[in-house]
Amino acid sequence: MTTSTSLVYLIALPLLGATILLLAGRRSDKWGHLLATALSASSFGVGLYQLSQMLNRPTEERGVSQKLFSWISVGSFNVDAGLLLDQLSICFVLLITGVGTLIHIYSISYMSHDENRRRFFAYLNLFIAAMLLLVLGDSYLNLYVGWEGVGLASYLLIGFWNQKPAYATASKKAFVMNRVGDMGLSFAIMIAFATLGTVSFSGVEEASHTASKAALTAIGIMLLVAATGKSAQFPLQAWLGDAMAGPTPVSALIHAATMVTAGVYLIVRSNFIFDAAPTAQLLVVIVGAITLMFGALVGTAKDDIKKALAASTMSQIGYMVLGAGLGPAGYAFAIMHLLTHGFFKAGMFLGAGSVMHGMNDQVDMRRYGALRKFMPITFITFGLGYLAIIGVPPFAGFYSKDAIIETAFNAGGVKGILLGGTALLGAAITAFYMTRVMVLTFTSKERWEDNQHPHESPILMWLPMAILAIGSVTTGFLFTRGHALVNWLSPVVGEHAESEEMLLQPMVVSGLALLAVAIGVAIAVMKYQRADVETVAPQNVSIFTRIARKDLMQDSFNEAVFMRPGQALTSLLVKGDENVVDGAVRGIGRTALGAGASLRKTQTGFARSYAALILIGAIALIAGIWVVTQ
Amino acid sequence: MNPYNYLYVSALLFTIGAVGVVVRRNAIVVFMCVELMLNAANLTLVTFSRINGTLDGQVVAFFTMVVAACEVVVGLAIIVTIYRSRRSASVDDASLLKR
Amino acid sequence: MTFTAPVLNYAQLAPMLIVLGGALIGVLIEAFGPRASRHASQLFITVASLVAAFAALVRVRNQSSVDAAMGSVGFDGAGVLLQGTILIIALLSVFLIADQENFTALAAAVPGSSEERESLQLDLRVTEVYPLTLFAVAGMLLFPVSTDLITLFVALEMLSLPLYLMAGLSRRRRLMSQESALKYFLLGAFSSAFLLFGVAYLYGYSNSVTFAGIQASITGGSGNDVFLLLGIAFISVGLLFKVGAVPFHAWSPDVYQGAPTAITGFMAAATKVAAFGAILRIFYVAFANAEWQWKPALVLIAIVTMVFGSVVAITQRDVKRMLAYSSIAHAGFLLAGVIALSKSGLDASIFYLFAYGIATVGAFGVVTLVRDSAGEVTDLNRWSGLGKRSPLVASVFAFFLLAFAGIPLTSGFIGKFSIFSAAYETGSTAILIAGVLSSAIAAFFYIRVIVLMFFKDPVEDGTSVVIPSALTTTTIAVTSLITLILGIFPAPLINFIESSAFFIR
Repeated sequence: MTTSTSLVYLIALPLLGATILLLAGRRSDKWGHLLATALSASSFGVGLYQLSQMLNRPTEERGVSQKLFSWISVGSFNVDAGLLLDQLSICFVLLITGVGTLIHIYSISYMSHDENRRRFFAYLNLFIAAMLLLVLGDSYLNLYVGWEGVGLASYLLIGFWNQKPAYATASKKAFVMNRVGDMGLSFAIMIAFATLGTVSFSGVEEASHTASKAALTAIGIMLLVAATGKSAQFPLQAWLGDAMAGPTPVSALIHAATMVTAGVYLIVRSNFIFDAAPTAQLLVVIVGAITLMFGALVGTAKDDIKKALAASTMSQIGYMVLGAGLGPAGYAFAIMHLLTHGFFKAGMFLGAGSVMHGMNDQVDMRRYGALRKFMPITFITFGLGYLAIIGVPPFAGFYSKDAIIETAFNAGGVKGILLGGTALLGAAITAFYMTRVMVLTFTSKERWEDNQHPHESPILMWLPMAILAIGSVTTGFLFTRGHALVNWLSPVVGEHAESEEMLLQPMVVSGLALLAVAIGVAIAVMKYQRADVETVAPQNVSIFTRIARKDLMQDSFNEAVFMRPGQALTSLLVKGDENVVDGAVRGIGRTALGAGASLRKTQTGFARSYAALILIGAIALIAGIWVVTQ
Repeated sequence: MNPYNYLYVSALLFTIGAVGVVVRRNAIVVFMCVELMLNAANLTLVTFSRINGTLDGQVVAFFTMVVAACEVVVGLAIIVTIYRSRRSASVDDASLLKR
Repeated sequence: MTFTAPVLNYAQLAPMLIVLGGALIGVLIEAFGPRASRHASQLFITVASLVAAFAALVRVRNQSSVDAAMGSVGFDGAGVLLQGTILIIALLSVFLIADQENFTALAAAVPGSSEERESLQLDLRVTEVYPLTLFAVAGMLLFPVSTDLITLFVALEMLSLPLYLMAGLSRRRRLMSQESALKYFLLGAFSSAFLLFGVAYLYGYSNSVTFAGIQASITGGSGNDVFLLLGIAFISVGLLFKVGAVPFHAWSPDVYQGAPTAITGFMAAATKVAAFGAILRIFYVAFANAEWQWKPALVLIAIVTMVFGSVVAITQRDVKRMLAYSSIAHAGFLLAGVIALSKSGLDASIFYLFAYGIATVGAFGVVTLVRDSAGEVTDLNRWSGLGKRSPLVASVFAFFLLAFAGIPLTSGFIGKFSIFSAAYETGSTAILIAGVLSSAIAAFFYIRVIVLMFFKDPVEDGTSVVIPSALTTTTIAVTSLITLILGIFPAPLINFIESSAFFIR
């Protein structure tokens, strides 16, 4: 493989920015944000340069690697801190640095009133660096470092306004839920090391041809756990909605374009494992299908514009995971949807930020309405993103989402019909709740309070939105010309396999999808454009609405599945621990806690009982050695 | 006389000492039981020295005596301090640290 | 009968002799030095002798011989590495000990008596802690290089006796501190009696007190196997007690909690290095060929130790007890390196000991900083929200916890990784599985503390972080820096250990 010496600059530039800004402290208040933006942009420049280099090389030599230093060498086992830039990672590099830079620009204006703006930019740069490390690492171990790094940076960013208690709670929830996922990744790495003896991507790929199916399935399932944690997939999805408490640009960067898609990256990167472990692959599909429905249903009931978008992100990533679970037929489409989603969802989050900016940080959509007249640019850019996400041709989402629905239908047999049906239904619901957002915010009657004076945002804010909107219009078309993206990725994810017998022709699928979208849009328009919308969410609603408002009972679900059995198992609980952690981790921890509490009783405080323990231990040791010897 | 009998005696002494540490409450007595264990070990060493016909075991015994003397100094210092603070030399009374 | 004069290799013994000399000078200062300047001169002597000992060690680092002291002390690469580790840890701990706020003014005074009040008013200081430290360090230096059973026993006592006293020197909660000293002493003496009994049986088995002689006997297979069995078992009890392996662990939480925090840090880090050094040497050199006898039992102890330490640590409410249980768990991880019985196991153990020791001193250094008007606050509930009060200190502590948990980019990760892979290479799959599982449990409770510090609201009860003295700052800064560097760029140290760690036979 070609080696390069310039890959490290991709990461080093934003990392340098974070270091300078954090070290210089208040002195860099005046120019810190400009420096951070410039460094992020130059990292994007390096990415473009790498792309041009890559295009000049023949297909099989496109991947480049760089060894930084020898990280761990223990006996025969070596891990280098190395970087790998291939057709898959370049997509991510450009998305991260490109969208990242736009969000830097947006934040200059959005955060201008915050006295800690410099620190915010330092964290942004840190995040970019960590995310780049995640996608550039050439082994699972290096990926893990980036994985933890984005985790850290995202807590710093979500909790940026941590003087407000709700926000601090939000970052705690994200922290705890992500730990569960991280545990999955570390288990996967350890199993890979124990059974395959290597953790580098190339090494594992090679070893996966001969490894036992059980080991590969175990690795695959653990990788899936990791992906569900980071990408807010079922059943570890609860944190994403709460994480919306952070500043809006953060949501656009982390919770739309980059970090939450890391799970999809992980699955696609590990395609060789999932292809060899059908059980794990099936689980991926199931998780994706459940989440896409779950997110869509939650999205229909949310009045908070950011939470509605967050639910939609969950659902869209569900589509990607579903695509990635369909094997070689779907990997490229998952990545395509990921890229187009990166554009339109980031654009919509920025749009939501712009609306909040003009509405005194009001987030309740029931208090919006008719903003089209006051914020024309925001309306247009948001609207283009909206058309893209619901999948209206020729906008980007149409191409990428249709491809996944079509692949799902063609997965074969009942499975195909179920998956395709779910994806299709999800598309209809997506159309419904996105139209609801659109209508409630921009087109229906004014419902805001008198003291609000909606106004268009400054150019530094709408320019990035406009650029992202252009992306959400054009990318789908560009990626599918001559199967550009599919062919580009095939050396990494395997040759794209069209299933021999098509259940449904592409035209039919597109037709069905458009029909679903039309139905969804029509219902939403009927319900929200025509009728009057109450400014306070009505309480006497159907049980389904109430369930959806409560995030489909996900907290109750966590309690029922994880906590109750743990409680029943361990009656010897230590009081007062309830407040320390919450969510799923609590249940898992309980068993250990209970065991610990009873073992702890052996520590009586009496020196004589310790001596007795030693004596018994000595006798047992002699007996043990005796038994072995005889 | 069969020197192995000394081994049995010393093993018995060691056991008495070990059990004494576990069952006795007074710190001084506990400490004496530990000394008994050390001396049982010394007896074993000397017996082996006799059986094996080398002097190394007896040399070890001498070292043990010196070390035991040092241990007495440190041990009594600690026990006396505890006694002065608590007005009791029971090892069971000193049980603030637990769980 | 002719008497041959002993031949000593003074250059190779120099590190130990320098430390002992420093300790003796310290005793003289204690006896004759003017009270006003005692603290400064003791600190100077202590630091100077530790630095000089390190320099002496560096000078002879490439030498090796079985005859440093008539076959009683072996001088080799592994010994140099372990002694260097102990000296570095001791130096960093002395900086913490120098913060005399932790120590009683007059150890002999009865708690709550007028004598004690008077001594506090006079601002007396327990400067005897310095010579005690040096004596303990000398014992620790000798422990891992001793190659016969007499030296092993004497070194064990030499390092233990000063520690028993030092555990009782706390300024506050003196009853607890004295209790910890009593428990440590009684149980320590109890376990060293076991060790001595084992020495006797090994001598009976092999007719030799040197490791080489025992090894020769085991290889020859001529002795009585019952004696060998008893010898290995009893010696193991004594050694496993020192490292705090289950079921010989019970003293450590109580002693860790009761002892002054600076002493706990020193004890936790340096004793573990010395004791594991001795365990590694005796098992690798003397018992290696009787592997099939002791290995199953030791595997079981290792597994039970790591699981027990990790599980019980979760329920702890006191930060020092929590660290004690974590150190029990780490003893289990380290036993994996002993069981591996291979070159890579030895390398990994030495790296792990260095990384763990450094992080431990740092973590206890941070614990000394969190105080209220009545001294250190070790109740974990009162640590909540520490990240908001004092982000830097809380972050440093969180970093050490992550290192204990073995999260990438810390030294703990590299250590765990290498020790488990060494155990795995030699076929101890059970150890690998237990290790990974208990690491996961361990990660849970470390992260719980991090959550507590950063995501909970502070309690308003006067808990605060004091501004550390220059020496304490140095210790915490150096330890966290080393922990970070070893996490990112461990290759130089690993290579150095690989090239020089071996046991001379």
